[in-house]
Amino acid sequence: MKILVCIKQVPDMESRFRVNSAGTWYEEQDLAFRLNEYDEYAIEQAVRVKEGLGGAADITVLSIGPDRAVEAIKKGLAMGGDRGVHIKADQPHQMDAWQIASLIAAFARDKNFDLIFTGLQSQDRGSGQVGGMVAELLGFACVTTVVGFELNGAVAAIRREMEGGLRGVVRLALPLVVTCQLGLNTPRYPTLPNIMKAKQKELLTFQAADFPVGDSLVQTEKMYPPEKKGRGLVLEGDVNELADKLAAILKEKAPALR
Amino acid sequence: MDFELSQDHKVLQSSVRDFVEKEVKPLAIQIDEQHAIPDELVRKMSAMGFLGSYLPEAYGGAGLDILSYAIVVEEVSKACASSGILISAHTSLACDPILQFGTEEQKRKYLPPLACGEKIGCILLTESDAGSDPANLSTTYVKDGSDFVINGNKIFVTNGGYRGTGILFATFDKSLKHKGISAFIVDLQSEGVEILRHESKLGIRGTYTTAFALNNLRLPASCLLGSEGQGFKIAMETLNGGRIGVSAQALGIAEGAFERARNYSKERVQFGRPIREQQAIQFKLADMYMRIETSRLAVYQAAWLKGNKKPYILESALCKLHASETATFVTKEALQIHGGYGYVTEYEVERMYRDAKITEIYEGTSEVQRLIIAKALLS
Repeated sequence: MKILVCIKQVPDMESRFRVNSAGTWYEEQDLAFRLNEYDEYAIEQAVRVKEGLGGAADITVLSIGPDRAVEAIKKGLAMGGDRGVHIKADQPHQMDAWQIASLIAAFARDKNFDLIFTGLQSQDRGSGQVGGMVAELLGFACVTTVVGFELNGAVAAIRREMEGGLRGVVRLALPLVVTCQLGLNTPRYPTLPNIMKAKQKELLTFQAADFPVGDSLVQTEKMYPPEKKGRGLVLEGDVNELADKLAAILKEKAPALR
Repeated sequence: MDFELSQDHKVLQSSVRDFVEKEVKPLAIQIDEQHAIPDELVRKMSAMGFLGSYLPEAYGGAGLDILSYAIVVEEVSKACASSGILISAHTSLACDPILQFGTEEQKRKYLPPLACGEKIGCILLTESDAGSDPANLSTTYVKDGSDFVINGNKIFVTNGGYRGTGILFATFDKSLKHKGISAFIVDLQSEGVEILRHESKLGIRGTYTTAFALNNLRLPASCLLGSEGQGFKIAMETLNGGRIGVSAQALGIAEGAFERARNYSKERVQFGRPIREQQAIQFKLADMYMRIETSRLAVYQAAWLKGNKKPYILESALCKLHASETATFVTKEALQIHGGYGYVTEYEVERMYRDAKITEIYEGTSEVQRLIIAKALLS
C-alpha cells in the first residue's frame, strides 16, 4: 500500500493578521507557523491505515512551501510518515489551487499511490479545491469532508459530512483521494523518541520549477479585512420580558428552532 | 552564529506545546489544590518521552540533546511548574549522574526504567544541617564485607514520594569532610528506607518534597556510583547540570505569567480604555519581557554548552540566578497587572507567584549562584 499525505504549513490562527503591501496576501513576518489542522487528521488517518495493515504500507508526506515548510513535514514524519517530500516554493501563495494541485499531481503521477489523504482545506487560503483537483488530474476517485474511514482490502467505506448536519456513507475502490474533516480522528502527539527518529528519515527536496505547471487560473485581486459591522443587540427589561424577546429573535433567525 | 532554534528543535517545541496546552494546562489548578500530579498525567508525560529526553536510545531514552530537554521543561512549566520540576529533578538529579558516572552495567540496569517513567528519579543529598554545604553531611555508611550499610536522615527530596530510584550521598567519616563522601544508587522500595513525611509548601504543591530515614539500609557493592570518596564531585557536577533544568522551569513559569498578564492587559478596561494603554502597565510589560528574553538566551546557552561538552559551570549558575530572579519578578508584576483578580486562584498567576519563589532556593540559592559566578570569575 502506497500512501501520499499532502500537507501545508499555515500561520497559527491566534496570530494577528495584516494585509501585505501588495494587498493580495497577509504579511508573513512575525507570524508563528504550524501544521494545518485538517492535515493533522490526514496524517493520523494515513498512519492508522498503515497500522491496520500491520505496517505493510509506505507513507510519503508532501508539502509545498518555503524552507520553514520542512517543520510541518518533520512533524508528519514524527507522527509516523516514512519519507518527506519538500517541493520548495518561496511564495506559494502566488500559486492558485490549480497550480498547487498540478505540482502535486506531477510529483505523484508515476508513483503508483493507492491512497492520497489531505486536509479538507487549508486554514489560511481555505479554497478547499486542491484535493479534488489532484484526484481529477490523476484520474482517482475523490471523497471530500470525510469524518469516518475504514479500509477492507482494496475497498474503502467512508463516512462524510453533508449539508444540514447529514452524514453520508460511500463505498468505493482505490485509488482514491480523501479530504479530511474535523471529527475523523484525534491526531496523536509526536513523542520525543519519534521526533528523534524523524531526523533520520529520508527527506527529498525538489524545486517547484522542476515540475512545469501551467499559468494560474485565478488571480487574487484584493485582500482586505471585512468592514466592521455595528455592535451587538442589547436587550433590556425584566427577566420575563427578556426571555420573550430573546425567544422571538431566535425563532426568527435561528434555523434550528424552526 | 545563529540564535534561531533549529527546525528539529522547533518541531519539538511545537509538539510539546500542543501536548501541554491540551493535557497539562487544564489540570494545573487541580494539581496545586490537591497537592498531587495525577498518575495519569505522569503516565502521559512518560509516554511522550519527557522522562528520557536526552538519555541515549541504547538506554531507552529519546537520544535528543540537552537543549531539547530544557525546551521540554520550559514548555511544561509554562502551564504547571510542579510537572516541570518532576521532569527536571528526575532527569538532572537522578538520570544524569548515572549516565555520567555509572558503569555500563548500572546504566543498563537503572536507566531504561527511568527513561520510560516506570521509576521516577530523585536525589537524596540535603540534610537538616547540610544544604548549600554538602561537605557537612551526617548520613554515614560503614562497610560490612563488600556491602555498604547506611544510616541517617535526608530531607527536601523532590520526587521522593514516588519511591523510585534515588541517588544517595553519605559519608564514611564526617571528619574527612568532602573527601569522605560517596554516592549510591538506591531502590527506594528497599528495606531500611522509611518515608518520614511529605512537606506542605508555599508552591510547587503538586510535587513530593519528602523526608526519609535510612535505618541500616544495606546496599551491595554494585550500588556504589563512581568510586568511594568521589561523592562530592558527583554531587557538584550533578548540581551544575540541574541548574539548567531549574532555570528552564523558572523561564517557563515567567513566560506563563507574562502571557497571562499581556492578554489581561488587553481585556481589562479601566477609565474607558484597556490598561495596556497606560504607560505604567507598558513599562511593566517591557521590563518583564526584557528579563524573560535574556533569561532564555542564558538558559539555551548553558544547555548548548553542556550538550556540546564545553565548560558550563559559570553559565549554568548565571542562567539559574537570572532566570529564577526573573521568575519571581515577572510573576509578581503579572499578579499586580491583574489587580484583585491576580489574587484569585482561577486566574492562575497567584499560583505562579507562589511557584516561582522556590527556583531562587533549590539546587543552590541565589546567594550560592553568586558565589559560584564570583569564584569562576576570580580564580
